[in-house]
Amino acid sequence: MKFDLSILAKHIPFLLEGAWLTLQACALAVIGSLVLGLVVGAMRTSASPLLNRLAAIYIDIFRNIPFIVQLFFFYYGLPEIGIYIDAFTTGVVALSIAGGAFTSDVIRSGILAIDPGVIEAAQVSGLRKITIFRKIILPIALRASVRPLGSVFINLILTSSILSTITLNELTGSAKIVASNTFRPFEVYFVLLVAYAALTYSVSILIGMLHRYLNRHQEEGAV
Amino acid sequence: MRYGDFTPFDIVLLLQGLGVSLALFVSTTLIGLVIGTAWAVIRFYRVPVLMQAVTFVAELLKNSPVLVQLFLVFFGLPAFLKINVTPTEAALITLSGNSAAFIYVIAVSAIESVGRDQIEAARVFGLTRWQILRRVIAPQATAFAIGPLTGLLVNQLQVTSLISVIGVMDLTKVGNILNLRTLKPFLVWTAVGLLYYLTAKLVTYAGARFEKRLRAHTAWKGL
Repeated sequence: MKFDLSILAKHIPFLLEGAWLTLQACALAVIGSLVLGLVVGAMRTSASPLLNRLAAIYIDIFRNIPFIVQLFFFYYGLPEIGIYIDAFTTGVVALSIAGGAFTSDVIRSGILAIDPGVIEAAQVSGLRKITIFRKIILPIALRASVRPLGSVFINLILTSSILSTITLNELTGSAKIVASNTFRPFEVYFVLLVAYAALTYSVSILIGMLHRYLNRHQEEGAV
Repeated sequence: MRYGDFTPFDIVLLLQGLGVSLALFVSTTLIGLVIGTAWAVIRFYRVPVLMQAVTFVAELLKNSPVLVQLFLVFFGLPAFLKINVTPTEAALITLSGNSAAFIYVIAVSAIESVGRDQIEAARVFGLTRWQILRRVIAPQATAFAIGPLTGLLVNQLQVTSLISVIGVMDLTKVGNILNLRTLKPFLVWTAVGLLYYLTAKLVTYAGARFEKRLRAHTAWKGL
């Protein structure tokens, strides 16, 4: 059989619709996991042993159980306890929770890498705890963890393909439909593979640029 | 008897699923180790053409969802090459390739962690290329790589859960079947999640033990 990509031409709008859904889900999940990661990261580095322990348990559980199992747990489980939400919301929630575990780990190591002297100086200056966290710890920690956060988010994009297993027709889901309509699975999935690689590659370039922009004052020679 | 109830046989079914998951995990890890290390050696010796090809393939495999890779091998290859690919074969090919791509990255940095001066010293002593690789680089690189490798393996264990989508009877697929039969998603997915969790912990523990043994000769023994 010969490799012919032209048959895909008329399915491109449909695939783009799927890609749009993927982007939406990923954008929401990135925000969700960032918020969750900040909260849990703060808990994990807090002085309270209870909060610390809770955060550690959350991270441990969601990092060590496959995403697809978590997804099925939410997708089939939530209606059982009377919560009826659609596949998209379930997917975004599951992605956020799973992503949050990885994000909080990155943020935690960003916070731990801060020079204790900086925090002590802030405490001596009489700043409130919340002010220290918001104005001093967060900016430094986030700036330092742009790159590792980026790789977590790239992983999130790749993981979002799993949402196709709960009937959500995002990029992978719509490619599945196109593959079964055209009977050309090889071409469809090959294009899909390259599309995902191109997407994550451009995201990683953007993250590199963001990292350089945010850390422009840290570079040697900067005054 | 209602068929919706749990039976003692379900435990056997779950363990069977776990066995399939583990068997695929172990075999693809071993194949991935061989291929990934071979790629790293190709890069170490800067073999022309091959080196570029390896870098390209590894990047492509790392930057695309495993689910899409699975679909490409399971649905795409048979249609394209007119061959038969069983779900297990597809899983074996995809997971091995995916593991290889990530192991390649770890192996490259592990090889680079061995100082150039050591290699030069070995060359001065008249050791052959193979002897240097086997006696000088391999032992140190292995000790260096074990840490990141353990992290990777925990991740790869979770990736194996995706093969349930193409119909391999692994732990997740068994969970799916039990879920559809008993309609008790919380119980089923908790049990499945727990089994994955325990396996992941076991991998982490084994990795830590192994690393300790490999690093035993560099550990501080006291005077």
